[in-house]
Amino acid sequence: MLNDVLFRLRSLFRRKSVEVELDEELRFHFEQQVAKFIQSGLPPQEAKRRARLDFGGVEQLKEEHRDARGVTFIETVLQDIRYGLRTLAKSTGFTVVAMLTLALGIGANTAIFSYVNAWLIKPLPYPQADRLMVLETHDKKRGWTSEHFTSAADFFDFQKQNTSFEQTVVWTDANFNLTGDGPPALVEGGRVSWNYFDTLGTKPILGRTFTPDDDRSGAPHVAILSQGLWQSRYAGDPKILGRNIAIGGEAYTVVGVMPGTFQFPLMGLANLWTPLALTDKQCADRGSTWLPAFGRLRLGVTRKQAQAETAVFFAGLEKRFPQTNTGMTLLVNSMTDEIAREEGAPQVMICLCMVGLILLIACANVANLMLARATNRAREFAVRGALGATSGRLARQLLTESLLLFLFGGAAGVFFGLWGMRWIESQIPGHIRGYLVNYGHADLDSTTLGFTLGITLLCGLIFGLAPARENSKLNLSSTLKEASAQATGAKGSARLRRIFVAAEIALAVVVLISATLLVKSFMISVRSSPGYNPANLMVAQLALPRTKYAGESRQRNFSEDVLARIRALPQVDSAGMASNVPFGGFGQGVEFEAVGKPALQPGERQGTHFTAVSADYFSTMQIGLVRGRMFNFADTQGGSPSVIINQTMAEQIWPNEDPIGKELRFGDQHTVGTIVGVVNDVKMYQLRPRPERQMYVPLAQFPSATLGFVVRTTADSTAMATAVRDTIWTVDRDQPISSVEPLETLMIIVDAGNRVLTKLMVFFGVLAMFLGVIGIYGVMSNLVSQRTHEIGIRTALGASRPQVMGMVIGQGLKLALIGVVVGVLGALGATRALATMLYQVTPYDPLTFISVPIVFAAVAAAACSIPARRAMRVEPIVALRYE
Amino acid sequence: MFPVEAIGSTMPDPRIDLPQGTLDLLILRTLALEPQHGWAISERIHQVSSQALFVQQGSLYPALHRLERKGWIKARWGASENNRRAKFYELTRLGHKQLEREENAWRKLAAAVAQILETT
Repeated sequence: MLNDVLFRLRSLFRRKSVEVELDEELRFHFEQQVAKFIQSGLPPQEAKRRARLDFGGVEQLKEEHRDARGVTFIETVLQDIRYGLRTLAKSTGFTVVAMLTLALGIGANTAIFSYVNAWLIKPLPYPQADRLMVLETHDKKRGWTSEHFTSAADFFDFQKQNTSFEQTVVWTDANFNLTGDGPPALVEGGRVSWNYFDTLGTKPILGRTFTPDDDRSGAPHVAILSQGLWQSRYAGDPKILGRNIAIGGEAYTVVGVMPGTFQFPLMGLANLWTPLALTDKQCADRGSTWLPAFGRLRLGVTRKQAQAETAVFFAGLEKRFPQTNTGMTLLVNSMTDEIAREEGAPQVMICLCMVGLILLIACANVANLMLARATNRAREFAVRGALGATSGRLARQLLTESLLLFLFGGAAGVFFGLWGMRWIESQIPGHIRGYLVNYGHADLDSTTLGFTLGITLLCGLIFGLAPARENSKLNLSSTLKEASAQATGAKGSARLRRIFVAAEIALAVVVLISATLLVKSFMISVRSSPGYNPANLMVAQLALPRTKYAGESRQRNFSEDVLARIRALPQVDSAGMASNVPFGGFGQGVEFEAVGKPALQPGERQGTHFTAVSADYFSTMQIGLVRGRMFNFADTQGGSPSVIINQTMAEQIWPNEDPIGKELRFGDQHTVGTIVGVVNDVKMYQLRPRPERQMYVPLAQFPSATLGFVVRTTADSTAMATAVRDTIWTVDRDQPISSVEPLETLMIIVDAGNRVLTKLMVFFGVLAMFLGVIGIYGVMSNLVSQRTHEIGIRTALGASRPQVMGMVIGQGLKLALIGVVVGVLGALGATRALATMLYQVTPYDPLTFISVPIVFAAVAAAACSIPARRAMRVEPIVALRYE
Repeated sequence: MFPVEAIGSTMPDPRIDLPQGTLDLLILRTLALEPQHGWAISERIHQVSSQALFVQQGSLYPALHRLERKGWIKARWGASENNRRAKFYELTRLGHKQLEREENAWRKLAAAVAQILETT
């Protein structure tokens, strides 16, 4: 067997030398024969003649010899390829159109698949990443899961007693105010358990990771830097280890530097880490759930086993601490899945489905082009058939051509895909790249290229097979007899092409309806009022270091000083401040109880978002008052605080009641406040919010270390940003500022994922429709040119031109309508998968389901009218003479 | 001395057609004695069969290459009796086994055919 293969390969690749050897061998034989005849007494001339006669046809012999060598198959393939290349090169127009169509389809698939690969297929960049699990709180009663661990006390109990995990870690993201060694800077990072890096399995490039001793309250302060921070801020100082840096006004000793490739997408961008070092009081707290957690399973332990153990453990906690733990359990979920979900894996999969459909449309188009071309080549095939080519041989020739075409399309598609990948990456704002594996970069690696090659060959084979089979059916006499190339035969081919067109229109309608639903959701979410006016509004955010601004009065003095100075800036219409502003990244919640309502069940909690605002915050933001009053300057220190709640909270807690004057108890101190007003709901964290409770208190009574200044201004945003920055630094020149941006920019950043998705949807929708319409146009216009003769006769017999035009358009429209109806039915089934991604649009949005088919049918009719007009202009004389 | 064509036309042709598949056997058998080049193989078959069998070049070389592909014989270039470069074929170990198999099969077939011819 091996011998056989080697022999064939040698024959194939060393064809020249094999042929030369054969020549030599035969010549030797010939000469021996001649010598023998001469010996037997024949004159030399006669001997040669005789030998030649015996020998027979040399070329024929060689041919038989080649068959015996067994390379004919491969040689025919090579021959087919050469012939295919020549044919493709000859019909440039066809080749370019088909290649571009395929390049669009295959390129879109390559680009989207590269993200599927990066986010769903490639393992996370940690050793044995499949053993990493995130631990998430699950509220059994409400069926609600939070990404946070239940509480510090629960965590440490679990850490000590579980047997499933090798290591467990809690962490929290943090912003560090870095001073000294340059301008004050706010650096993103995290406070982490000592074993955070070891559990992930990443080693520092310099120094060490944290030790259990570092992770104790009151231990000497230590910090680990990212390679980026080390190089940018400390110029790659080789003696960085042991150096003291100032974080929030306190000295920290650098003990390590992590490699530039280290990343933990759940934390986001991180350049600085300190130990969590919880105080004893924090460790003993079972009530507040604020720490995200993950762990590494012991070798051989499955997720299910760990989940079972965890469930039992938390059931025990429920019994021991009913006050805090009733109904609470912990889920063990794959970190890979969790990160993929956060990145938008469902959206990527939807995109993959769409580009898959688009590829089918593109392939159907190309198959149709090939069918049309092959019909015109019927005579060529008939001649080749007459010369002895079998129909199998012709089919193979056609299949080779189609595979070549697809391979070229695929190659062009890779470039198009590469461009698409770069485009997608460029659309991801820097702020959220930290949450994406490899910072949102997808590689054109072997998996992606393999996928591209796979779909290219698969489609080439499937869509090449039908035309190849259809056209290799030889009917020599009839085709050759037909004097002109107007092959009215090939009925099967025409039927196949109509099926292809109807199918691709159906697919295009599915894509277009799905895309429209998603785009509509986006438009609604962007256009619906956020509850304030984000235009011309600058937002400056900062976090005061707790050491420098330990007391409430210091925080209050700082914030009021800054606000007064900002208000005095030129071109500032009004200014306000709050502990957290919409899309700002800071956020706070409190538990509360309404006074005079039935007490909550044990373990039941009731929370609300909590924001402390200055008196002029609402007026600056232009948040509308629904009832009661806004805060005024009388709402200052002392006395029962005034509270303003949003509409959702009013409706949920005091349905059918006037909440004004009602009291509620909130926060750790069980402060009692009186409701003085109700304001409209605002979008705080997402552009697609669910109704969430929100309460406001006066900032004067509840000073905050996190501050967001809102400034309504007519000035240019860059100039204003600089002015605001300088103002803050005149009050405290060491105070880092996390950001100064127009609120509209913050909103765009938060919604970046949906924005990219929407742009892709617009592109996919347009592409699908374009390809579908091109398809129907191509088929109709080919049909018209094939029927020129018939149309001429009809006209000669008295058919009016509008009749002719109507006939052609009618035929096209019939195909389009079949496609559209099938497409709408298909879409009814398909759009359900989009439900979770839609906002204020149902998957069966009637407007979309009615308008898309109408628009599609209209465009298809317009496309058919072009060939129809050509049909109308057919002169009977010309058409008849054509014969 | 008469023209060659006359021999063919006046004398009955002593050559007989080779049954399908026997050529391989004859080649293997010939090569079992010693390595030979193509011409010598055909000559030898011709002589040993008392001029009854004549192998056409048109069938000899394809057969040789087919056998080579199957790994029963192998070829190498060497010098002929008159010091010309010629391609010599020799039997491989696989070829020896194959020859044994084919010989047995042939003998059985011949005996069976002979038996049938005698009894009827």
